[in-house]
Amino acid sequence: MKPTQQIVSWVLQLGIIALLAPAAYYKLTGHNESTALFTTLGMEPGGRYIIGFLEATACALLLTPNSAVHGAILTLGIMIGAIIAHLSKIWFDSMFAYFSIALVIASSIVIYLRRKQIKSIARMLN
Amino acid sequence: MAASINLHKISRFANLAIPSMAVLFFLGGHFVSFYFHFLTVTFLLLTVVNLFYLYIQKKHTILRNFGILGQARYILESIGPEMRQYLFANDTEERPFNRIERSEIYRKAKGIDSASSFGSQLDFDNSEIKVRHSMYPVDRENIKDFALTFGEERGLENTYTINKPYIISAMSYGALGKNAVQALTRGARMAGIPINTGEGGTPKYHMDEGGELIFQMGTAKFGVRNDDGSLNDEKLRKLCAEPSIKMIEIKLSQGAKPGKGGLLPKEKITQEISDLRGVPLGQDVVSPAHHIECMCKQSTVAFIKRVQDVCMIPVGVKICIGKTSEFRDMVREMKAQNVFPDFLAIDGAEGGTGAAPKAFMDGYGMPLMPALFSANKILTEEGVRGRMKIIAAGKLINSSKQFIALALGADAIYSARGFMLSLGCIQAMLCGNNTCPVGITTHDPSLQKGLIVEEKAKRIANYVKGLEHDFYEMLAASGIKDAKDINMDQLYIPDDTALADQINALLKNANL
Repeated sequence: MKPTQQIVSWVLQLGIIALLAPAAYYKLTGHNESTALFTTLGMEPGGRYIIGFLEATACALLLTPNSAVHGAILTLGIMIGAIIAHLSKIWFDSMFAYFSIALVIASSIVIYLRRKQIKSIARMLN
Repeated sequence: MAASINLHKISRFANLAIPSMAVLFFLGGHFVSFYFHFLTVTFLLLTVVNLFYLYIQKKHTILRNFGILGQARYILESIGPEMRQYLFANDTEERPFNRIERSEIYRKAKGIDSASSFGSQLDFDNSEIKVRHSMYPVDRENIKDFALTFGEERGLENTYTINKPYIISAMSYGALGKNAVQALTRGARMAGIPINTGEGGTPKYHMDEGGELIFQMGTAKFGVRNDDGSLNDEKLRKLCAEPSIKMIEIKLSQGAKPGKGGLLPKEKITQEISDLRGVPLGQDVVSPAHHIECMCKQSTVAFIKRVQDVCMIPVGVKICIGKTSEFRDMVREMKAQNVFPDFLAIDGAEGGTGAAPKAFMDGYGMPLMPALFSANKILTEEGVRGRMKIIAAGKLINSSKQFIALALGADAIYSARGFMLSLGCIQAMLCGNNTCPVGITTHDPSLQKGLIVEEKAKRIANYVKGLEHDFYEMLAASGIKDAKDINMDQLYIPDDTALADQINALLKNANL
């Protein structure tokens, strides 16, 4: 990666963490808003913990250069799920919906920038 | 016609099924339970990857034609070597060393009894050279202890004597990591055998371990070069004054890539190696194909003389033989100039290396047995066999192969891979990638951490002990009281071996 790409990737990674870490924290600690959301989805409390745990894992993975791409893939997956939830159950009634769209875009860019680091695939194809 | 699976049909079905599953799980998530959306997301991502494989990427035909199912091929191919080595390859079919050969070394290195049961798994019909035993074996106490003195022919003051016929062959710091070099050198010291430093510049780690060293001067002369690649006499003289440097080996060519210089891939060049060798970081280091001083037989022999004059310790030459006529010419030139190397290391084309072009690794040079036979014969015919020692190299990892080499005219045995196997090499064949899983040919600290120097040094010593034990047992069985008396009469050579061909060729044309 070129130095500029490095910088862009790290800025995006930290941006993703800034949005994702509080979300994970509220889910895992059972914040009112989270509980309400997951009750609507019919996933309270199991789903809330699973998603919260996955979000926390994604944050951790995004912190090191070698695992960042995997963190971004995980973020993308969670956020597609979130968008599905917004589209089908809760609609765009809060800023969280826009957060998830932003995260999908950001994590996609990180994956693109770090695509060569998806080692398992890269090694197989070489 | 036998029933067969139409993979193309299946893949077309899969390419349709993956997005359909995404839709199905979406419906499940919407109407049944939101948990289904975990699968919706998974299949959505798979669909995207599949579309990328089918319509966007252009490099891989299989992926473009078959999509994500085609990836199975790449997965299977990537785990193929491990599957074959661990599960499917039989005990005698792997190369360069099959499982029987490897496990003999492992057993020796661990000091486990290497007796085996029921029968030999090798092919006895027509293609194996065997050692002939005598009806009258001798007892060990009647066999003279092995001793070989390099440099005695020239009446050198600083001769060098080995008491076991084994030398660890050239492996540089660079090709090997720090731990491996330390373990090898320490093990060699424990076993009382010398170790060749390889062409890795000033052999810092070898010297720190206090081993008895043969300094190899490769074609790039790392450690003793001027900037233009010529020899810096002063640096060489200084190096030879080191008490641990016992002999010098001028590498003219190497069995794994004869006609080409050494090659160190950029993956393996650390800051330290770049400093030791005086080469830049981030690009492959390719040594020249020949010493800048050695343009023809006259200049080559003159160069040997020059190094001998600078060094005052035994100086030998390592070559892989290509044309025997060229070799004979060089021997005649040696006679003309009255300059002889103190030893001649004959490297067979089957020799190993960290990195070599495939064409050279597979396609160039004479294999050891015929080359060794020819060299010995030519030197004898020219009347100068007594002026130098011969060291044989090339897959000589087990006792019987080594004995055969000794019978064909070698005085001592070089092995590198035998000692690597003792260090724990599993023949993963990744020496050039810096990813050696057992920490030998890598500089990655996380891979080196498993290679405990103290522990592996003992393995080296054990291996030598095992080889030496076999050596004297074989001498006894052959009824030979002095290792110098081993000769070709000890060998049973079937007709369709490369060696038999070479013998016949030389018999037909004595001047070859």
